[in-house]
Amino acid sequence: MTALLLRRARAQWPLLLSLLAVLTLGATLLGASALLVTRTSERAVEVAAARAEPDDVEVTAYTVTIAAADARSVAADTKSLLTSALQPFTATTTTRASSRMRILPAHTDDARSLLSEAYLSGVQGLQDRASLVGGRWPRAGAPLEAALFDNTARLLGLRVGSRVHLGPELGRDPAPALDLTVVGLVHPLPDAGWDRDPLNGTGYDPDPKDAVYADDVNAYGPFLVDLEGLLASGSALDRLEVTAHPDLSAPDGRDLDRLTASVLGADRRLGGTLGDRVQIERVSSPLPQTLLGDRSQQELTAGSVLALALIGIVLTAIALALAGRLTTGVRAEESDLFSALGTSRGQFAAVATAEAAILAALAVALAIPGSSALHSLLTHLPPLSGAGLAARPAVTLTQVVAIGCGALALAALHVGLAMRPTANGARRGRRELLARSGVDLLLFGLAAVGWWQLRAQPAGAGSRADAVRVLAPALLLAAGTALSLRLMPPLLRQAERLAGRSRGLVLPLAAFQAARRPQAFAAGLLIGLACAAATFGTAFGSTWTAAQHDQADLSVGTDLALTLDAPPLAGQSAAVGAATGGVLSPVASHNIAVGQWLGGSGPSPKLVAVDTRQAGLLRGRDSSSVADGLTPAVQVTGPFLAAGATPTITGTATRDTPVIVTPRLLLQDDKGLRTACNGPPMALDGRPHPLPGCVPVAGLRLVAVALPVTAGWEGQPNSAIDVWISVPGAAAAWTARSAAPESRQLTDPAVTAAGDRLNLRANVQFADPSDMSRVLVATTFADPGPVPLAISERFAADVSARVGGKLSLTFGTTPIEAVVTAIVPTVPSAPGEPAALADVDTLSRALVVRGDFDSPVSAWWAGNPRAGAAASVGDLHLGTVITRTDETARLTGSPLRASLPAVLRVLVAAAVLLLFGGVILHVACDVQLRALEVARLRGLGMSRRDIRAALLGEHSAVLLPLIVTGALVGALATWAVAPLLIRSDTGAAPVPPAAAHWPWAAEAALLALLIAGSWLAVAAVVTIQARRADAAHLRVAS
Amino acid sequence: MSSALLSVAGIHRTFGSGPAAVHALHDISFEVEPGTMVALVGRSGSGKTTLLNVIGGLDRPDRGTVTVDGIDVTALDEDGLSALRRERVSYVFQTFGLIPVLSAAENVGVPLRLARTPQADRERRVELLLELVGLAGHAQQRPGELSGGQQQRVAIARAIAASPRLLIADEPTGQLDAETGLSVMALLRGIVESEGVTALVSTHDPVMMALADRVIHLADGQLTT
Repeated sequence: MTALLLRRARAQWPLLLSLLAVLTLGATLLGASALLVTRTSERAVEVAAARAEPDDVEVTAYTVTIAAADARSVAADTKSLLTSALQPFTATTTTRASSRMRILPAHTDDARSLLSEAYLSGVQGLQDRASLVGGRWPRAGAPLEAALFDNTARLLGLRVGSRVHLGPELGRDPAPALDLTVVGLVHPLPDAGWDRDPLNGTGYDPDPKDAVYADDVNAYGPFLVDLEGLLASGSALDRLEVTAHPDLSAPDGRDLDRLTASVLGADRRLGGTLGDRVQIERVSSPLPQTLLGDRSQQELTAGSVLALALIGIVLTAIALALAGRLTTGVRAEESDLFSALGTSRGQFAAVATAEAAILAALAVALAIPGSSALHSLLTHLPPLSGAGLAARPAVTLTQVVAIGCGALALAALHVGLAMRPTANGARRGRRELLARSGVDLLLFGLAAVGWWQLRAQPAGAGSRADAVRVLAPALLLAAGTALSLRLMPPLLRQAERLAGRSRGLVLPLAAFQAARRPQAFAAGLLIGLACAAATFGTAFGSTWTAAQHDQADLSVGTDLALTLDAPPLAGQSAAVGAATGGVLSPVASHNIAVGQWLGGSGPSPKLVAVDTRQAGLLRGRDSSSVADGLTPAVQVTGPFLAAGATPTITGTATRDTPVIVTPRLLLQDDKGLRTACNGPPMALDGRPHPLPGCVPVAGLRLVAVALPVTAGWEGQPNSAIDVWISVPGAAAAWTARSAAPESRQLTDPAVTAAGDRLNLRANVQFADPSDMSRVLVATTFADPGPVPLAISERFAADVSARVGGKLSLTFGTTPIEAVVTAIVPTVPSAPGEPAALADVDTLSRALVVRGDFDSPVSAWWAGNPRAGAAASVGDLHLGTVITRTDETARLTGSPLRASLPAVLRVLVAAAVLLLFGGVILHVACDVQLRALEVARLRGLGMSRRDIRAALLGEHSAVLLPLIVTGALVGALATWAVAPLLIRSDTGAAPVPPAAAHWPWAAEAALLALLIAGSWLAVAAVVTIQARRADAAHLRVAS
Repeated sequence: MSSALLSVAGIHRTFGSGPAAVHALHDISFEVEPGTMVALVGRSGSGKTTLLNVIGGLDRPDRGTVTVDGIDVTALDEDGLSALRRERVSYVFQTFGLIPVLSAAENVGVPLRLARTPQADRERRVELLLELVGLAGHAQQRPGELSGGQQQRVAIARAIAASPRLLIADEPTGQLDAETGLSVMALLRGIVESEGVTALVSTHDPVMMALADRVIHLADGQLTT
């Protein structure tokens, strides 16, 4: 047997080499896929964790109300618990603590029932959270040294070196008074965690929420002291928080899983550890969700990679089937001879098994280093390299097992094909046709079920890769290709009929051969499926990329979004505009309440208001038309106020007791940003009251004035008020109204503008205790009426809204009326959410006419910003910056997703290679099988050129339709399943829904490559075939 | 000037070189008159097929000339040889040499298509030839559906379709039983007489030798008579 194998191998080495190549290619593909879904996939989770934003992995323990005696131990135990919860990762911790409020005697006046209170805070890393304005940082030691916010010091009249006496704590078991020395003045840095300060980092609150001890309470603080000093000061702690930052720079996947479980259980363990020493304790962290999200995304990507790899494996199996079939054909005479000599089936099986085993062993030996090298090469190419997943070649157990199993399965297929009885051609043809009919119909049925399952998957389904998602693409492609092969015979018969009319021989002979020769089903399936897989892979990659772009566009809503940490200030437009360039819009983005709707299980409705006049601002599918009909017809204008101008307010009231107004002037800059200047309460006593600091920058226009009117209980119930505001160039079209006309507490509102004075008048009643019912509002614009809204389909479904329908909304605490002008799939920046889009100018006007002068603006959006705008805006420290480009890069280049485009490349390359391999195998075997026939054509006087033309025509007549139908199947599969295979990074259906994207240029180039490559292969082979007809076979002998 | 249709002069053909060289043909010279049927007889390996290939322009001699209908075959290039086979020389192969995917009529029509004969003329000629060889009722059958004798009749019809001057047949009855072989030989003889074609037929068959106008014996690459 060994001798036979060796001699046959020597004689048929090209054939065996092609078999080995196919086996090796399949096993290599399998090994590389195994490495992608195991090693790279695991590494992706680790890289994602290492790249996570610090805020996304920090773990914070909050504890509330701690007795002075327990302060130190609670701090130590909390820190210890967090550190152990993050094992085996090392962690750095920062602690901040705030004491219970203490009386500030120097600013307390019992006679006026005025209580001033203050508190101590110890903040680790204070130097990173505040800038030193004067003095130095506080140190440990006695007496306590403290630093103060500059504005707090100004309010309290303190300087560096001042000594401060803090009275006893407020509440039960108060700690005794203590003295401090102010050693430094600091200014809080933005985005430095001061939002967790008891006074939110403002340094002063004239009406703290927990003030219960007096009518008037002023809170000051923090007095920033050394943390250890605070813990040792004998002060009870109102709050203590310890934040731990694990070092995830070099994580291990299994450790990350343990970390997730550990942090999830930390809250329970903290409660057990601290017991009664604290009133409330809680461990909060986005870390588990971050890591679980990474795992989900990893599984989702692995599923997609498997689905694509499966297509490659199916292709390889078909290629092997083709190679096996051709081998059997070439060896038919040899087999017949051995059968005639009495060789048993067992002996045939032994020879075939031995040959397959040797081929499989060689394939495994080649595929292990080959797949490692291919995997390493892939990881060194974008996008895997950009995702930080570059890896050196390595061999893993999973890879070896996958390659071994794959090679064995393919070898078994080879043995099966070799052992297939060589039945009579006609009988076998009928039998194969019947079998094929069953198989292709079965495939079609399964593909239909898979497609239906994919369509029926819920929008918010989990991200785990299920069998349907893995099998559906391969099934659909295989079924489509198998069914398309049924179209070939009638097509070729039609071509044969047409060609038969020709007078010459070349065309009819090509058509007759193409139509009548029994074409190898495996060859047709391989070529068609390879073309379908290549076109599908190319289009799927394009569809996936387009879907990520669409999601990023819609998620950000614009090119650059700056979400403000604090309400905008006058002059901010210029700074932001200078940093971004391009088109700029103030944006209001807030949750709203709708009528009496109590909400559903999902997120609250959201109102997004942008400057809809700005073309090129919105991004996302259909964004160009989403704001149609929202833009107000007339722009708001008003008198310019010079920078530094000081308007004065003078007023009179007819009431016999003082009437107070708290004026608010609304100023608008050239970008449409409106900010309010709030004056102090002032009596309408006929004297002028200046409003200093209202116009900090140039270019501001006065567009509205609000005068909330208040008065004591005593006195007449009614009063007429007459207020003059000095405004240069006030002469404009002003209108006046009551902010709450339904209350009847403010009637006959009137406004006139003459010269540099604005005169506001009204009659006021004081029966309603609510001050909000007596607000006189004068504006340079009319009441806009219901705010036009474009609402998302989900919002419309939630509230059963229709176009033209009215909605009552509550924005903050202000009710506004709105009208639905359009129902759109989704609203920019609120993908898939119940949301409404409005014009920010109209929204602002609607709020202003109801007396709400607080700026609704919470963000800035910029369209077409200049290069480097994100960094420039970030340097302003106004809030969080996100760009569409960054979001797209995150979605497409994330380590958790980068495997998908990488494996798509492999699939397309493998499909192209296998297609060329299939073509070469098919035509090369033809050389041997038809050598005599070609020689006889020469003998009949057919020239070499005509023989080449006939053979080329014959193969073209078969290959071209196969490639074209393969491309059609690829297109159909792209249209049918590609959008369904794409999920968002949360595993839910993407928003906007993925749409099939057919990259015409790439597909045309691919088809040109396939056709040109196939033609070249065929041309080369038929040239040899025509030449051999003379050299080797063109003899009359048979 | 000779009136011979075929003139073979001093043909030598050697395969290989050195000690392993095989002298397939050695100084072969003879002539064949038009309208005659010549039997080329010899044992296997005597050089019959090589000689027929050289005459038909399928192989080139090392030395010597072959003239067919006044054309020096050995001086023709590839295109000239193809034209020669299309217009003046045709073959009948031992294994019939029919194209499997074509019907009997289509096979017969191949030389006519090569000659770009108009469709109507081609169809008439094919019909006539199939009737001549007694296969008018089998025109649409493919070679696989015909018996060996029928296939060889189709091959003969195809060989004379384009009215060649010289018909070369290499052991045309080699794969047929005696009775069928006899009928094929009779057909060939009849066609030589009816179509005026010159035939050069290699054979072992004594009946064929009896039907031939002349017999040429070949042994070890040399003429023996």
